[in-house]
Amino acid sequence: MDSLLPLAVAVPLVAAAGISALNPLFGHRRRVLDAVAILTAAAVTGLLVVIMLSTADGQRVYWFAGFTPSHGVALGIDFAVDQLNSGLATLTATLVTAALVFSWRYFERVSTYYHALMLVFLAGMVGFCLTGDIFNLFVFFELMGVAAYALTAYRPEERGPLQGALNFAITNSVGAYLSLSGIGLIYGRTGALNMAQIGQAITGHRPDGLVVVAFVLILMGLLTKASIVPFHFWLADAHAVAPTPVCVLFSGVMVELGLYGIARVYWSMFGAGLGHRDAITAVLLALGIATAVVGALFCFRQRHLKRLLAFSTINHAGLFLIGIALLTPLGLTGAAVYVIGHGLIKAALFLSVGIVLHRLGSVNETFLHGRGRGLPVTGVVFVLAALALADLPPFALYLGAGWIGQSGDARELHWITAVIMTTSVLVGAAVLRVAGGVFYGLGDPPSEDPQMAEEASEETSETDEAKSRTPLSMIVPPAVLVAAALAVGLLPQLGDLVQDGAVRFQDQAAYNATVLVGAHIAHPTALLGPEDTSVTTTDVVTGVGTAVASLVLALMALYWRRLPVLRRGFEPGAGLVRPIRRFQSGVVNDYVTWMVVGLACIGGALAFAIR
Amino acid sequence: MTPRQRRWIFLVAGGGFLAFYLWGLIGLPGFGNYPGPYGDIINAIAVPQTHATGVVSAVNFEYRAFDTLGEEFILFIAATGVATVLRHLREERDTSAVDEAKNRDVPATSDAIAMVTLAFIGPTIVVGWYLASHAQTSPSGGFQGGIVLATAFVLVYLAGQFIVFKRLSPIALTDAIEAIGAGSFAAVGIAALALGAAYLTNILPLGSTPGAVNSAGTIALISFFVGVEVAAAFILIIGELLEQTLIVREGDR
Repeated sequence: MDSLLPLAVAVPLVAAAGISALNPLFGHRRRVLDAVAILTAAAVTGLLVVIMLSTADGQRVYWFAGFTPSHGVALGIDFAVDQLNSGLATLTATLVTAALVFSWRYFERVSTYYHALMLVFLAGMVGFCLTGDIFNLFVFFELMGVAAYALTAYRPEERGPLQGALNFAITNSVGAYLSLSGIGLIYGRTGALNMAQIGQAITGHRPDGLVVVAFVLILMGLLTKASIVPFHFWLADAHAVAPTPVCVLFSGVMVELGLYGIARVYWSMFGAGLGHRDAITAVLLALGIATAVVGALFCFRQRHLKRLLAFSTINHAGLFLIGIALLTPLGLTGAAVYVIGHGLIKAALFLSVGIVLHRLGSVNETFLHGRGRGLPVTGVVFVLAALALADLPPFALYLGAGWIGQSGDARELHWITAVIMTTSVLVGAAVLRVAGGVFYGLGDPPSEDPQMAEEASEETSETDEAKSRTPLSMIVPPAVLVAAALAVGLLPQLGDLVQDGAVRFQDQAAYNATVLVGAHIAHPTALLGPEDTSVTTTDVVTGVGTAVASLVLALMALYWRRLPVLRRGFEPGAGLVRPIRRFQSGVVNDYVTWMVVGLACIGGALAFAIR
Repeated sequence: MTPRQRRWIFLVAGGGFLAFYLWGLIGLPGFGNYPGPYGDIINAIAVPQTHATGVVSAVNFEYRAFDTLGEEFILFIAATGVATVLRHLREERDTSAVDEAKNRDVPATSDAIAMVTLAFIGPTIVVGWYLASHAQTSPSGGFQGGIVLATAFVLVYLAGQFIVFKRLSPIALTDAIEAIGAGSFAAVGIAALALGAAYLTNILPLGSTPGAVNSAGTIALISFFVGVEVAAAFILIIGELLEQTLIVREGDR
């Protein structure tokens, strides 16, 4: 059983190397490559499901090369697998499989490189989820990063992809170097790289400068990957130019892996040693709220569909961070369920946009207005996904939002529900506006904004020319993903199951004992106890209310010219155009400057709180 | 943001970061005071346990071999990424990049450079091969050896023989060799699984004498595969980049 754990990473690596090595033989037989890639991703998904099910009765620890720790000192590298990280890895492999199936007919021409890059990307993300070693986490951070940069630039004949990929690579590498220097600092103090061992070593001492600085520096790479304001600028640039199946993975799981990393580093290493939980909650909450608000406002104003969805991802990353920031089992439960629902739904939305691009050759909302009427199935999938994104029950997302809000209420932070609702309404309205305008021709076409039109027109079809029909291999994946989000939302006992995982995730002492001594902890306990996860009427009402408000706002945005109250010439959100252009400048020097500003602010805040 | 604004914002924030960072550095142990147990334990057990006298290699290719596997695939996928980014530009070059001044004299590589570089090719290959195959005995290994081996190919180019360089390392073949090197490392780990041991366990006989070339089991094997992968990856990257900038004229050698 345990030997399945390394296979989840080794199998995609061997497959990637194998298809590259056999390229001279099979390189021109595209279907062979496609089939190998899809089968590998599906096999990894199956492996991870088995692994996830096996974690129900406790954590599984796997020591590479058989070097189990002696006297609490880890000599080798471990995979420490619990419900939450194996669940996230399963979501990752599922979305990679869906993206590869979608690619079957999507690319006109595709080379071995694409399949090798996707499989290594998968291996990197799975390894990142499962590892229990901080340096190994960094290695997988870099592995998935390098694969992602190359995938972003997959169509380098245009100027856009190269620039988007460069911004992505430079900002994430700066974040990675900061993380590595943080790892160096904490290694200098503890002489350990195993997360449990580091946690053990710094617990019980007063946290000094070194521990605080190491924590903040390690967070930098993860915050960048998670696209948290002000480290988020690369995301929209990369999404706008990356091929659509790749966007599915960026938005659906890669950003979420950054947030998982933050949670992992906090609860497995620094939590007990740092103390000062209120200060950490305050800093992370501030970051989460800023991210949620910025993402929602920028999303609403976009006309470029991929950028619009990218900003919606930024909004959700902020909401997930709010759930983590509460430091409660229920907050983490909400974030985890939200991540699952969002990953499935955002993937479905991006794949639908891919179909639009495939059929109609554009991602410009203005141009597409009413032109999607010939895509009835895609339209239905898109509308359902948009409503789910606006927290409509019983899709899984409303549960996540509800639990984060409840846990906030329990900590006397009642405004959290308000932040979640208002930003979700803005994002839901933006996506529903697209759905109504593009697929049903509702309302008036939005006025042409010259610069945005230019940006959107740079997006040439990835499939050479517009096609007259949608292949089954392109419409089935998004439909299945929407159905999966519905099924997850209807799972009985979902909250209790996930909260069990969250409690185990937050029990640092149990984690240490399991990893370093091989103890079996049947009943882990978190610092704050689990809360009630039954689905209340409030949850349902809040979810339905958010969805209805989104719908109303979307209709207002579509029909605003005909509304009596609004005067002609006023355009909703027009005031946002300048700040968007000013901050989202595309100049990587600006982005890195904002990252340093963010680092200085976070460092300063924690330094004053903890010194 | 104008460059001027950016500079000021960066300077102020960077100053804050510097102060914060120094606050952390103060907490490091003094020079020469190694606090951690890891190095002491490895120094005590590595040679008897692995029969490798190159203890750094024992860490790289056995205790933390899984990290090295990830790093090797970072290089593999980086080379694949370079090939991905440059593949269309290559098609483009075939039609667009031509020498505007067709009849100008091309300066020949001087005899001195050609002779010295050609003389160095043989020794470079020997040193590279030595480094890649002696990780178990002394501080060396596949990464270092692979780079030196790749240098031998670059010397061929430096001697003015670009065409020979390309003939020695066609992209498809180099790509395949690189993939074989990377995949073999991952497969060595799976072989251990097949024998019922943990992934990347040292499953080969360790040999009787620590420090002998035929000792240390899979450490030597993995180091060799890494050498193959690294050499091929760098030849691939250098070849791809050279092809972007060089204009090959008729009659060039």
